Amino acid sequence: MATITAPLGQGSTVAGKQFRVSDFLRWTIDHKIIGIQYIATSLFFFFVGGFLALIIRAELWTPAVDLLPSGTAYNTVLTMHGSAMLFLFMIPIWAGFGNYLIPLQLGAKDMAFPWLNAFAFWLIPPAGILMMMGWFVGAPEAGWTAYPPLSVAYSLDGQTLWIVALHILGISSILGAINFIVTIRNMRPEGMGWFQMPLFCWATLATSIIVLMATPFLAGALTLLLLDRVANTSFFNPANGGDILLWQNIFWFYSHPAVYIMVLPGMGVLSEVLSIHSRKPIFGYRMVALSSMAIALVGFTVWAHHMFTSITPQLRIPFMITSMIIAVPTGIKIFSWLGTIWMGKIRYTTAMLFSLGFLSMFVIGGISGVMLASIPVDIHVHDTYFVVAHFHFVLFGGAVFAVFSGLYHWWPKMFGRTLNERLGAIHFWMTYVGFLTTFMPMHWAGARGMPRRVAEYAFEFQTVNQIISFGGFLLGTSTLFFIANALWTFYNGKVAGPNPWRALTLEWATTSPPPSHNFDGMPIPFSDPYGYGTEEATAYIEAIESHYAPQLPKSSNATTMAESNA
Amino acid sequence: MAKDYFGTTLSREEIEAKKREREEQLKLNNRRLGLLVFQLSWMMAFIALIIVNWQLRFSYPSWPPPNVKAMGVTLPTIATLALLASAVLARVALRSIKGNQLMRFITQWRTVLGLGGVFVVIMVIEWLSVQMGTQYGTVFRLMTAFHTLHAVAIGAYMFNILRNAQHAQAVLQGQLTNDGRAVFYHAENYWAVEAASRLLDFVFIAWLLFYVVLYWWRS
Repeated sequence: MATITAPLGQGSTVAGKQFRVSDFLRWTIDHKIIGIQYIATSLFFFFVGGFLALIIRAELWTPAVDLLPSGTAYNTVLTMHGSAMLFLFMIPIWAGFGNYLIPLQLGAKDMAFPWLNAFAFWLIPPAGILMMMGWFVGAPEAGWTAYPPLSVAYSLDGQTLWIVALHILGISSILGAINFIVTIRNMRPEGMGWFQMPLFCWATLATSIIVLMATPFLAGALTLLLLDRVANTSFFNPANGGDILLWQNIFWFYSHPAVYIMVLPGMGVLSEVLSIHSRKPIFGYRMVALSSMAIALVGFTVWAHHMFTSITPQLRIPFMITSMIIAVPTGIKIFSWLGTIWMGKIRYTTAMLFSLGFLSMFVIGGISGVMLASIPVDIHVHDTYFVVAHFHFVLFGGAVFAVFSGLYHWWPKMFGRTLNERLGAIHFWMTYVGFLTTFMPMHWAGARGMPRRVAEYAFEFQTVNQIISFGGFLLGTSTLFFIANALWTFYNGKVAGPNPWRALTLEWATTSPPPSHNFDGMPIPFSDPYGYGTEEATAYIEAIESHYAPQLPKSSNATTMAESNA
Repeated sequence: MAKDYFGTTLSREEIEAKKREREEQLKLNNRRLGLLVFQLSWMMAFIALIIVNWQLRFSYPSWPPPNVKAMGVTLPTIATLALLASAVLARVALRSIKGNQLMRFITQWRTVLGLGGVFVVIMVIEWLSVQMGTQYGTVFRLMTAFHTLHAVAIGAYMFNILRNAQHAQAVLQGQLTNDGRAVFYHAENYWAVEAASRLLDFVFIAWLLFYVVLYWWRS
């Protein structure tokens, strides 16, 4: 039997109190509550964006504009769908996971700047309200990319609110990212070097670097757009010496890296979940960690591939090359994850199912991404549903699957109860089938020439659009199972105990939910956060379990489970 | 009683004091790194505007465009030197406060603010005197206004520090009674001054980039 240092300080930790709803509605500097506030707010906007998506799919059931009053109304719904999903759901929800998990995974009491953390969160609800108020003053209709002249000459006042909302969200993102970087750099516990850090922390670090370097560009672009709208400047009007491509250049310099802001933390979730639920060390830890940084770096060199059809032809080739190069660090991750689960003792929990779902869908999205990086293919399918299919495979098939995986995985830690696995499995399979039915046929529609962002389309595309819409409704329905599961779990869910997945990272070395100060004493990290399958790992997990024994369900036998699973 | 790393016996109070000291050090390190990271990030907003300036040049055969008078370099050079002197003097003032020399700090800080004021006044003159009608004038006004707003915001923060220091000085000299709201800067409490000095450095570096782009880079 190997010797093991107890993972915790002296003294027993009192279990964190059960939260009340009112705890989440007020100002607090507890990173755990802020994390859940972020996640809940983001999920709210996910449902708003999802509802708008269903309106889009209902409209596209027939080739004519019949459900919505006009094509303009369709544009506004489409714009708000994209904006809500990207800026109010996808980006803030990862800040939520980061807030909840980073201090716990580092064994810290809180983030480096707790007040700033709360402030960054409380910028989001007003920004969301401001964006949604656009419906009352003429919603923006230039798409989430807000290309001028659409966003200057044609959009109504809602576009101005949209710009201000994005400015506020940008400030929130930057403040959050500063907090993550300082926390990760300065607050790691003794014994946790850079390469003993959980991979979710690495992913958040890389994401934060992107946020910090890219978001000010969005601020710059938005300022110009705002001035063109309200101060009569003409930065984007060629008739007065402006440049129409200026917006695209600056905007995509932010927005392409922003795709990685939305996906990289999901990759971090995957690294945690795949290793823990297949009981195997992560394959190629350093490569997974460093590939996140490589993605962050190369992500800044690819933006002009969004402008292949409009930039000088000589510039296309360099951007094609960089766009293809970014598949290399991504590929490293994919192969590392496959190596991790290979011959593992896989437990098909819902968290694991969603991670496996990510793995399959993201590969498809990645491959269509490489296809789009190729200039001839891009010119052929430019502005068609092929592009819509690609980015939904990356952002829904990738990021949203990772969000659900993370929610099922860390829900027991957040609320002390495990989400129902049976409902979870139904949720997963409906999402998986619904997702494939929705977005796979879009490749075909796009390759055949169906343009994106249209309310009317050629009659020949009706059948494929009806299949897509059917899939969309299935996908929408699947989310209801998650809501039902969450509500059911609050009252009837199985008590989770401190470490229901027998994991080695530090967030599991405290009660579920953790007390407000997270840990009693300084928790001692295990030398390898993914070192499953060794005697030391078994002993470490046993030590955690014996320390928190009263929290464990009576039915579980800690020693045997730990031995069989470690 | 407990033993530290070197085997020295420590009382509980000593342990608590060491813990507090470590936490204070961590807090300062966090603040320093946080500010540095913010500065690196926000510099990108200034770089974005430089790229805007660069891209707008392609719409014209020359820069400044034909029939547009280029801005002279004398006044902005004086402004640049004033800002540089201000930033350097702020560093000196920080050293004074670290040495518990409050009187000297106040004098130096007043000069820092005065030099900053010179910079802002020149910027306002420049903003008003640029010839409008082309993108040259618009982007010039955009960049100078964007930068000057930062300078004014940080100036307001520095002015607040000056007020605090003057208030504390009056309390120390017995001219005012301490109502509990006085903020004392000294060798143990200098972060606000250090942050202001670092922010002023940022303003200077950002201005240096703009200065070169706006006044010297012609094409």
